Amino acid sequence: MLQRLYVHNFRCLENFELTTKNLPSALLIGKNGAGKSTIATALEVIQSIGRGINRVGQLVKPKDFTRGRSNVPIRFEVEVLLNQTLYKYVLALELPEKFRELRVFEEQLMVSGKPIYSRKEAQVTLYTSSQNSEANFLVDWHLVALPIIQEQSETDPLRLFKTWLSRMIILAPMPSLMSGGSNGETLEPNKEASNFGEWISGLLSRYPAAYAQIDKYLREVMPDIQDFQNEQIGKDSKSMIVRFENNNEHLSVDFKDLSDGEKCFFLCAVVLASTKSYGPLFCFWDEPDNYLSLSEVGHFITSLRSSFKSSGQILATSHNEEAIRKFSNENTFFLDRKSHLEPTLIRLISEIPIAGDLVDTLIRGDIEL
Amino acid sequence: MSTNRHKLHILILPEDDANRQIATGFILNESLNQRAIQVLPSAGGWKRVVEKFKDDYISTMLQYPNRMIVLMIDFDNDQEARLSFVKHEIPDYLINRVFVVGVKSEPENLKREIRKTFEGIGEALANDCSDNTNKTWSHALLIHNKVEVDRMISLVRPFLFQ
Repeated sequence: MLQRLYVHNFRCLENFELTTKNLPSALLIGKNGAGKSTIATALEVIQSIGRGINRVGQLVKPKDFTRGRSNVPIRFEVEVLLNQTLYKYVLALELPEKFRELRVFEEQLMVSGKPIYSRKEAQVTLYTSSQNSEANFLVDWHLVALPIIQEQSETDPLRLFKTWLSRMIILAPMPSLMSGGSNGETLEPNKEASNFGEWISGLLSRYPAAYAQIDKYLREVMPDIQDFQNEQIGKDSKSMIVRFENNNEHLSVDFKDLSDGEKCFFLCAVVLASTKSYGPLFCFWDEPDNYLSLSEVGHFITSLRSSFKSSGQILATSHNEEAIRKFSNENTFFLDRKSHLEPTLIRLISEIPIAGDLVDTLIRGDIEL
Repeated sequence: MSTNRHKLHILILPEDDANRQIATGFILNESLNQRAIQVLPSAGGWKRVVEKFKDDYISTMLQYPNRMIVLMIDFDNDQEARLSFVKHEIPDYLINRVFVVGVKSEPENLKREIRKTFEGIGEALANDCSDNTNKTWSHALLIHNKVEVDRMISLVRPFLFQ
């Protein structure tokens, strides 16, 4: 479970701290441009490192410095609680004069307060553990060290942390890009969910019982669904077909021809089945209410919140009043930014004096931090 | 397909945002059939709950006989008179499908005494219902709901809790 995210000098996030300790689900609200989606972008940097991308230039660009302030490092810190153990990962990136690509200024992974490794520019120190004696070595300063440090076993904290990072689900789905086709398998969905076909293939191939969970959810939202099939259409290619049945009449529909909202039902079903199959997972879903009918929004959000209640964690953003009403003051964060020249501010709704109904106040645009 | 209007389902009409948050916590219970329950936007006062029920819900409850509704109001330490007033506004032919529950005074007092968030209170109340316990419902600020809650649970348990 993500306990804390700290970001500094990255786009609109300056000295920004999001504390989500003991919050299995939380909502981020605020006006357009307040910084909600930038939080997803910051989390994506961390997720990408977990997925093995370690070239700094592929993670952040010079334009990501807040207002071009490249004489101050960009800093990311995450604190994550996994199996009652606290992991803290720190990464600071800098752009020295005459450099075109950022380099690592500082990097560290700590587990339960003890450093696993730390780094200053190119110099990495791997600390003594039951498996290693202390080692010092150099890593190209344009490469993040975390993906390249060798794991010693399946229970190595390094491996547990990297696996958790790589399996973070960060979604801002674009249903038009969700074709249901696949040329392989993955447990690492991308932000747009354009590799949804690969994800569901990977999930069902490694955890076949997930089919029943997906099927159960889909039947609740689409009572006339009969089943879905991932048909082989080439040596390595599959394509999803969804079959419907009503009064003994049948209809087969290519996944790509489902409505945008129906594709989101599938996405939700796979998120829920994934967290049950290989969770606990962290999920950030930017505007999960997008593409849904008003009568579905509340059920959709409540299903996500209820499923992540016992394990895992979901952060969502929304502008939708029905979605906002499915959260409470203690798990809704309000983000505000005075202008494009000022940083994102964040506070829990329970800490802001609000007279009357929250949604009405938001509609009037009356909340300011 | 949202809440299926033709299957047994229950709506919760909260008086205010505090009650709405309690109801939101209630429906997070994992053993709940999520498609059979829906929390409506808060009405903005107990009198508005009654007005809204009369204006918007009496007709739809006639149209959909599988619909039940919880009117979630604060009793403001005037439980008997207020319950009697609200019940009087419910047509006889719907009285079995309408439940009136709420905190004896107001939710803020309950929150202070129980030391839980509103959502946490709702979760605890749902746990009582799903586990067949009475830990939170028996709190001094909620115990007066017993008759109404027992009547409601006996009707909704078969379709609401899995």
